[in-house]
Amino acid sequence: MPDQIHILTEFDQALSDLKNNTLEMGVLTKRNVENAFTGLTQRDLAICNQVIADDEEVDQLEIQIDNDSLQLMAKFQPFASDLRLVITSMKITHDLERISDHAVSIAKRSRKIIKYGDLEEISLIEPSYNQALKMLDSAMASYSEKCTQQALAVLAMDDELRKFHKMATKAYTKKLEEPCENYKSFLNLTFIIRWVERIGNLSINIAEDVIFMESAQDIRHGGELEE
Amino acid sequence: MNSQLIQLNDLGFSYDQGKTETIKGVSLDIPEKQVTAFIGPSGCGKSTLLRCLNRMNDLIDTAKITRGSIKILGQDIHASDVDAIELRKHVGMVFQKYNPFPKSIYENVAYGLRIQGIKNKDVLDEAVERSLKGSALWDEVKDRLKTSALGLSGGQQQRLCIARTIAVQPKVILMDEPCSALDPIATAKVEELITELREQYTIVIVTHSMQQASRVSDRTAFFYLGELIEYDKTNTIFQNPSQKHTEDYISGRFG
Repeated sequence: MPDQIHILTEFDQALSDLKNNTLEMGVLTKRNVENAFTGLTQRDLAICNQVIADDEEVDQLEIQIDNDSLQLMAKFQPFASDLRLVITSMKITHDLERISDHAVSIAKRSRKIIKYGDLEEISLIEPSYNQALKMLDSAMASYSEKCTQQALAVLAMDDELRKFHKMATKAYTKKLEEPCENYKSFLNLTFIIRWVERIGNLSINIAEDVIFMESAQDIRHGGELEE
Repeated sequence: MNSQLIQLNDLGFSYDQGKTETIKGVSLDIPEKQVTAFIGPSGCGKSTLLRCLNRMNDLIDTAKITRGSIKILGQDIHASDVDAIELRKHVGMVFQKYNPFPKSIYENVAYGLRIQGIKNKDVLDEAVERSLKGSALWDEVKDRLKTSALGLSGGQQQRLCIARTIAVQPKVILMDEPCSALDPIATAKVEELITELREQYTIVIVTHSMQQASRVSDRTAFFYLGELIEYDKTNTIFQNPSQKHTEDYISGRFG
């Protein structure tokens, strides 16, 4: 709602830094998710290892943002939309850290899959991956733009994600029901598709937090946005 | 039940016999046994409005109610049969700068009762003890009731002024920035006291501290240039105000 700057320039700077760091964390998290998928589909061990190493940056940013938020609250005691921005940023960074952890899990399982022969069924991950990445992108854009409509659009993407996830899971489970020499890889793929879905779910959490930030309404767990 | 104890209807007030209005048509209902905070920048009329509630502005020759009315318990406080002195027994006031009389602690609290003609020592003793307990000061001063009130710390003097106010058992306590001259510990004690007093009294507090308003009050009214901009539950005002003006003010965006 407010478009005027604060009288305290240091307060404005602290809020702006918080937002920029959260957005940067979003960029790094997205990069880790993309690299994990590349590692899997391109059978690239080095990229998988890079994802595991790069997670440290995301972890450190989470700690920094939590610390900065604490200091900001103690120093400036924000109210209303300022307070919601700080709280939302802290919650978003927690979700981003979880997403990056899932990227690491995907990379670790991908390393195992890479050891064995190529599987055409890996491509079944792609629709879920594309959808989850789109959800993450849109959720972070809604935070950046303070756009409730964009955040609501992320929620609407969930059905499609679920459909893709179900399709891949079904295919992998079917493979596991019969004797198969690549059973370990199919087992790993069922884990991976689950984590990809979780990335989409956590992006929904981010979108819900953005809606709270902008409208002060909590729509989690089935709540609806009032006009 | 929280009925509306104080009702302001289109109240206008002027310091210069009506030439300019300091308060411009404020309508507001203040519920019983709750804390209502008035906030707003200096000169917005919040203290003036507070002083209208017990007709303290009557003491200024050129002051004038230009329109509207104030009703307390349904009674128009400016009606011809209402005596301002009598009104102030029911609507007590605590000021920004604590102002105990240069008398003993006991006499400060007993003063209001004495001018009502009460002389019975047992009655006075009981009222002094009740009021000092009510203002959370009894344990600190019970062994030195006959010593000068001016020997107390600032925070204690302010709580003594609150004891003096509640000794006459008013319905309403008006507080005009009661903690602005106090340190954080004394402020916390007064705020704790306000929270306890809410059980028995209707409190209206003017404060410049947004944190204080959000901590102690149930409802908050934001004023600007003599007008009531927004009045709502305190949680709403500080978490999601409906007016941009309110949000700008409470978050320090006011130019």
